Amino acid sequence: MIKQGESIIMPPRIAHVDDDSDIRESVQRILFKNGYEVDSYLSMQEFIDSLQDETKKPDLAILDVMVESMDAGLTTYAKIHKQYPQIQTIFLTSLGDMIRPYFEDGSHEWVCIMEKPVEPVSLMATINERLKKAGEAA
Amino acid sequence: MASTEFSWDKPNTQSVLLEIKGDKLKLSDDVLISNIRWFITFRWILVAILVFFEILMLSASDALMQLGISEQQKWPIAIIIVLIVANIAYIFALDHCKPSKYNSPSINLWIQIIVDLICLSVVVHYIGSTSTPISFFYVLHIALACIFFSTRESLYVTILVCFMDSIVIIIDNFLITQAPLSTLINSQFLSESARKDGALIWMFFLDILFFVVWYVVSRLSLIVRAHERHLLDAYRQINQAQVEKDQYALLITHQLKSPLDAIRSKINLIKEGYLGETTLEISTALAQIDHRAKNMSGLILDLLRLERLKDTCLDTAVFEYVEIQSALQKCIEKLTPVASSKNVGLNLSIENFFCKVIPDQLEILIENIITNAITYSHENTSVEISSKVDRNNLRANITITDHGIGIEEKDLPNIFNEYFYSPRAALHNKATSGIGLSIVKIAAENNQLKIKVTSEPGVGTTFTVAFGTIEFPATTGSAIPITLINTRLS
Repeated sequence: MIKQGESIIMPPRIAHVDDDSDIRESVQRILFKNGYEVDSYLSMQEFIDSLQDETKKPDLAILDVMVESMDAGLTTYAKIHKQYPQIQTIFLTSLGDMIRPYFEDGSHEWVCIMEKPVEPVSLMATINERLKKAGEAA
Repeated sequence: MASTEFSWDKPNTQSVLLEIKGDKLKLSDDVLISNIRWFITFRWILVAILVFFEILMLSASDALMQLGISEQQKWPIAIIIVLIVANIAYIFALDHCKPSKYNSPSINLWIQIIVDLICLSVVVHYIGSTSTPISFFYVLHIALACIFFSTRESLYVTILVCFMDSIVIIIDNFLITQAPLSTLINSQFLSESARKDGALIWMFFLDILFFVVWYVVSRLSLIVRAHERHLLDAYRQINQAQVEKDQYALLITHQLKSPLDAIRSKINLIKEGYLGETTLEISTALAQIDHRAKNMSGLILDLLRLERLKDTCLDTAVFEYVEIQSALQKCIEKLTPVASSKNVGLNLSIENFFCKVIPDQLEILIENIITNAITYSHENTSVEISSKVDRNNLRANITITDHGIGIEEKDLPNIFNEYFYSPRAALHNKATSGIGLSIVKIAAENNQLKIKVTSEPGVGTTFTVAFGTIEFPATTGSAIPITLINTRLS
């Protein structure tokens, strides 16, 4: 938490969903070190449930695609994009751009797909860019 | 310098002729519409024949009179007018009216059959229902109804035919004592009662014949449709299996690549210092591990791409117009880091055009050829990428030239074979899987593109992708825009 004069600036909150503990741990480590609040979830349901809690609502979600089922990430994205359009989303998947055809037309601008492995520099750059975009939109 | 041209033709599968509506198997609307058009053309020919017949009647009536044929009524003119008006109405309904509940191809066909039957009945009446074989023309309508309609509907047509034929025979022989045209040719006049008996027998046998024809043709039609149905089912099963196979391939790819991604994520953490300081030896060893794991990941993804391209169903694939300039620039953007890591420059010179392709596959094709060019380039050289347009023949090609190890003449015919790699290439690029150009080949095959490869060992290779039919951007006018981009990073 950073104090700036009278107001308090909360660090951006990021939710990360992945069933691979090594990937979870890697992402968590990178984000913590860069000053973000991170909530890691093993399943999409856990993440969706957490959205009920206002204090846990993230600014950005990093979703794996194939968690529990082939398209859990995509269905979760559809749900949260409808209910919470302000939450930015990044897909972090082993299949990279190969999942793009599963999105409908016109998604190129606002659907961000990153291919695993996790690369700290590009991950941070993408997160910052998405958050900046969200800030500008707000 | 050796040069080889490659082109692969993939036959287009035929579209499905039948569709299942409820439990019934019917001809699809497209097939019905094409048949309606065929009937309309056939009717125009008939009208032309009738017009010719009428002109002959008018111009050579004396000569025909001598042969025993005389014009008694104006019925051919009436028939011609009705057929012309009906034909125009059918075309109008087909091309200019919106398809609706009351304007479907099936209703159009029904109206055609009824109007034709009425016209035919008039012709039969005037030419001679019992004295000439003109009534056999009704059989044509029954056969066509059996082919285009369900068994029940074709039975309705058969009953209608029997009814009309019977009415004509009864009118001709029992109600009106009008001498048909044919009797003018026929010099033998029968007695009144014998003619009536003969007409009844004629009517009875004709009706029997109509039902027999309906039964035989509708049975045959059912057999053909059953086979079509089996084909349709098999086609659907294949499509379903294709989807399942693709999902399975996706799952396996994910499972194979995930552990490598976890390993490489950890390596990245160490490389970027997230886990503390490391010695130079450890960093070098990690870089080597990462390199091997990266190649392995690339191979796994390439295998999936290859399988997916092979399974492209040309019936369902979406062909779109793609602007070549943006497609090339997108690839260059993606590959610039790879090229600069080898200190290879990418020189781009574009004459823009539009081509109708499967967009993802064109990207994969270009990306793979450029990646190959970068991989097999000597260090500190450049790869030239250019597109040229032949405006007169509406053709274009993209040329990708590298200054690298080149391909030996004996290897050139095999480069697009799966898992093929030459020892020279393997020596230069230890990570070669032999799949990259197979992907290019299948993408070219699916998009009907030709590829020409020219190469000289030690000097370099040129890949030329030829596009058959192209279009130009609307805004360019006569000027040809050429963009020159040099992406070399010094």
